[in-house]
Formats: sequence, structure tokens, C-alpha cells
Amino acid sequence: MKNINELGTVINTDVLVLGAGGAGMCAALKAKESNVDVLLIDKCGIGWNGQVPIGGGILAYVYPEYVEKWAEKVTRDSNFFNNQDWAFAFGKYMHKSTLDLAAMGLTFLKNKGELDILTWGPNIHVTLFDAPKSLVALKKTALARGVKMMDKIYAIDLLKRDGQVVGAVGLGLVDGQTYLFNAKSVIIATGNCGYMHEKTYSSVQGEGPAMGYRAGAQLINAEFGSSYVWGIKALGKELMGIHFYLYLENARGEKIMGKHYPELMVGKHSVYTFDPRVIDAMQKEVKAGLGPIYLNLMGLTDAEIAGLAEDRVEGLTQLIANDTMKLLREKAGIDPSREKMEMWPRYLYSGGGLRIDIHGKTTLDGLWAAGGASSNSWSGGGGGQAGLGVQSAAVTGFVAGENAARYALDNHRLEIDFSSAKQILERVLAPLHLKGNLDAAEVVYRVHEAVVPMKYNRQREAGRMKEALGIVQDARNKLNRVGAADFHELARYHAAESMVMAAEFTYQAALMRRESRSGHFREDFPHRDDKNWFKWITIQHQDGAPRLSTLPVPLEKFKLRPQ
Amino acid sequence: MSIRNYDREKCTGCGICIAGCPMDVLRLDKAAKKAVIRYPGDCVACWGCESFCPLGCFDVSPERGRGELVSPY
Repeated sequence: MKNINELGTVINTDVLVLGAGGAGMCAALKAKESNVDVLLIDKCGIGWNGQVPIGGGILAYVYPEYVEKWAEKVTRDSNFFNNQDWAFAFGKYMHKSTLDLAAMGLTFLKNKGELDILTWGPNIHVTLFDAPKSLVALKKTALARGVKMMDKIYAIDLLKRDGQVVGAVGLGLVDGQTYLFNAKSVIIATGNCGYMHEKTYSSVQGEGPAMGYRAGAQLINAEFGSSYVWGIKALGKELMGIHFYLYLENARGEKIMGKHYPELMVGKHSVYTFDPRVIDAMQKEVKAGLGPIYLNLMGLTDAEIAGLAEDRVEGLTQLIANDTMKLLREKAGIDPSREKMEMWPRYLYSGGGLRIDIHGKTTLDGLWAAGGASSNSWSGGGGGQAGLGVQSAAVTGFVAGENAARYALDNHRLEIDFSSAKQILERVLAPLHLKGNLDAAEVVYRVHEAVVPMKYNRQREAGRMKEALGIVQDARNKLNRVGAADFHELARYHAAESMVMAAEFTYQAALMRRESRSGHFREDFPHRDDKNWFKWITIQHQDGAPRLSTLPVPLEKFKLRPQ
Repeated sequence: MSIRNYDREKCTGCGICIAGCPMDVLRLDKAAKKAVIRYPGDCVACWGCESFCPLGCFDVSPERGRGELVSPY
């Protein structure tokens, strides 16, 4: 019998968590409470990685007595298209997860020694936490409780035996070693795909959903969740603040928001960086030949500019706006009080993820998912309030961690199957044997040409989406010319491939959904069509190609029904 | 160009920049206790190293190491 150690360094554990951002860290901490072996790995260095430390430190909160109404509102806002089981469970878990995070060492803003729960809007509450140090604090607790960790390991494929996930393949970016992790249960917590267009979120490159898909797990909601934010072109960065929209103007110096949304110019409104109305106005102006769009803050003092960032949560956005103004001066050489700056929409995310049930389990045995890599349809493809992304990472992380650990307690570890591991490694390592003549960055650029333009991804239409898919296919063809000299370049190859796959999934599902709903807008099918499309789209690997299916929203099982 | 200035003298090799870099641009020279810019071309100018470095060793320009951004229009 062939020895698995010939293929790489084998490391055994009970629960393997891939990705140590907010979701993965929470999953590892919760799994460890069941007193099982937990190994947490990440392609970066654990503690400063992922999206949480670079975010705003806002955590959504729902008072326990308001949970029912909150979930009902989410359900109605989604026109009953959401997974109500998850919406109620999520709402209910938020109080507990907030307290758990505090007990695990996360530093929250406090008032007289108590957790400060702030009011963001009518019945919208948040807590604030120290974002940059958040994962460092949780890491300290996790290490003290015995969670094992490995930095700079790039996980790229799952290992299976008899249809069950039994581990993963990892590339040691620093030591150049190939690792074969053998576990009783695996949790994917790698985030979804941010395509590295909005620079700040460059760490999420689609590897998790891609490896889950290759192993046979279902993806869901790929057509939803694609989003644009408006930001400063020179910086490649969004500008937080709710009143800046008033100062947007076209190349002629005309204020653009008053032209398209006059109601926003009367009274006080909060218009965030992800507000689709701003993206609409920008797009219309540019289409009319009146671009580019500028933010004109000339003549304003720094204090006045910070004032425009004003938010309901005192001080926070002002600080962020001040930082951004500093960056503008220092990096782009733009003095915002003396010259205007060009703004444009930036593509942020692809949508969906690995389909998970109420226990955080994917459709594959032995595999759980959490955070951005997963999709539980709690919101029904709609948007939400600030801080829900982090809270969703925490809650899905806790849920997956608890259930993956329970599974590990009840089951034996199945050994890695030699021949299938060998086959997977041959695929993973193949670019090392190729003398390529193209850089992976060129593949990524080509993917950007398909996903970033709003004519493809915001105003969707069959012909144009097919054109975009053609570009993605071209990107895939280009991959064949990318070689890798070391594991760093190999990781870049696989990241590029994961982005190709994310783009394919998005457009294939978007082509299938012949209606408009939530963030998915079809010019050729501009209306919501509950008669034919009250169903979710799933994607599964079959015979070497993605197979798309529909899953009727199981309204009969849910608590609320439209009257 | 992305990391336009790195103050090697000031660096104590704490490794925070390496941990935070999403693109694996930086590595640690353990013997010298210094961060090393191993793959400069892959920097996407996210400012992770610059904003997390406790000693202010990094100055990152807004341009990415490779390629410009595709226009959304």
C-alpha cells in the first residue's frame, strides 16, 4: 500500500478550519469548547488577516425582545424570498454572539462599564469594537484555550474519502512544503470573492467556494450580492460619510444628485457609500457625456469636511473621513479643500457562497462553511444595515464551529485516500511544471474586464452577459499560459482560477434568473416574477461542468407567509 | 510602484506587516529580524502594512504593482 507521507507532510486534527478571519476565528473558538483538537490555518498571518481588522469595527445588534419583529421585517423586505429559519435564528443569536465575543476578549466600546449599544436608526442598533486589534485579541484567547494555528498556509483543495470530506491540501508559502491535513470535519471560512478591485478587500479571492465546488458541494445565490460602492479614484478607496453625496458634480460643475434625486436635496438624508442612487446618478451622467464625476469640497475646512461624514454613531465616520483626507494629501497629492477629486464606482463583491443549512453544514458530509464563503439566504439577497457582515461571520462561525465539533466527537477520522489525494495534488501542482509566458495578474485583469463594467454586471442583459462570459472564457484560456516558479506564484495561479470560477458562477446564475429581484437587475426582464422565479438557484459540479438547478423557496415550512 | 519606501533600519521584525499582507508580498528574514519585500510587483496598495505597522516603516503609493484598474463604465 502506498504511503500517504510520500505526497506531503500529513497533519492530523479533529476539526480543520480554513481561513482565520472573523468567521474562522469564531468557528475555531466555538469548536474548541467541545474539547476537540482544532487546527486553524490561514494564507496570511493569523491575527491581522481577513476583512474584520480593516473594517469599521461595527457589529450589528438586535435586542432579544425585538428579534421576532426584526426577522419579520427582514422577511417582508425580501418579499418572503429569504430563508426564514436562518433569519429568525440569526436575529436570536446576535445578542448571545455579542456577549460571547466580549467574553472571548473582543474590546467593545463601553459606557459605565457596560457594553454600549448604540442606536443607528429606528430599531437599528450596533455595538462598536476595536477592529484593528480584534483578531489579535480573539487569537490570544484561542491560543490560551488550545486552538492550534498555522500561518502562511494556502489551502486550495479538499480531500475526500467515500464521498466524505476528510481534509484539505495546503501549500506552505514560506517553507515550500506540501501539507495534507486530515480531519474529522472541515470548515471553510475563507470569505467569498472580492476580485481585488476594491483594494481594501483584496484578501478574499474566491478560493473557498471554488474548492467546495470542486469537491461537489452546492453553491447558492451566485447571482445576488454583486455590489458597487462609490469611492475616490486616485486612492482606490471608498469614502465613508453620509452627506458627501451633496457635493458630487459632473464635468460642467453641476450638482448631480439634485438632478436625478431632487428629494435628497431637501431635508436631511443619510446616503452611504453603497447607496445605489449615487451609482445610478454617476452612471447616467457619464452616459450623457458629462463625466467624469467629481467630489468638490473646495473651500471647506477639515472640520467642515469631517462634519459631512456625520453619522448617528458619534465620532466614528468623522475619524474615518479624516484618515481618508490625510491619505488623499499624502498619497495622491490632492488637497481636498483646494481641488476636486474624481470619484467612480468600484466593484466590491461577488455574491452567494456555499449553501449551508441551519447547522452551518454544506451539502457535503464532513464539510461546514461560515462567513462570506457561505450563503444561508437569511436576507433573501437583499442588503442590510452596517455591521451585519461581521455579525453574520460571527454567528455562522459559532454555529459551524459548534456543529463541526459535535460531529468530530461522534465520528472517527477517515484516512486520506492515496490515489485521490495524488490526483488532486497533480492538478494543484501542475503549473509548477509549466514554463508559462503570462503572469496571473493578466488573468485577473481579464476577469475584471468581465465583472467590473456596470453594463455587464449592474444592468444585466442576456446578450451582454454572454459577452462577459466570453471574456471570462478568454481569462480561463489565458490560465493555461501561466506557470509558477514557486508556491507564491502557484497560489496566485489558483487565486486567479478561483476568480474565473466566481465570475462564471455569477453570470451563469444571472443568465438563468429571467427576472429582476433585489440586487439582481435584468434590463430584459425588469420585473419581479414570483410565479416563475420564487426559487433559489444552486450550482453543483457534475461531469466536469457546473450544473444549475432551482430550489423552490420552502414557504410551507416557514413561519410567515404573504397574505 | 507600490511600496515606495520601507525603513529597514526602523523595522524590528515583529511580523505584523507580513501577517496583514493579503498578497504575500512581504516575508520575514528571521536571522536579521527584518521584513523583506519579496514580491514587490504583487502589491495591490491596500495599505495594510502601512496602517498596521506600529513603527511607521512603510510608505505605500496608491498605484498597484501590476496593471491599472478596469473602468466600471
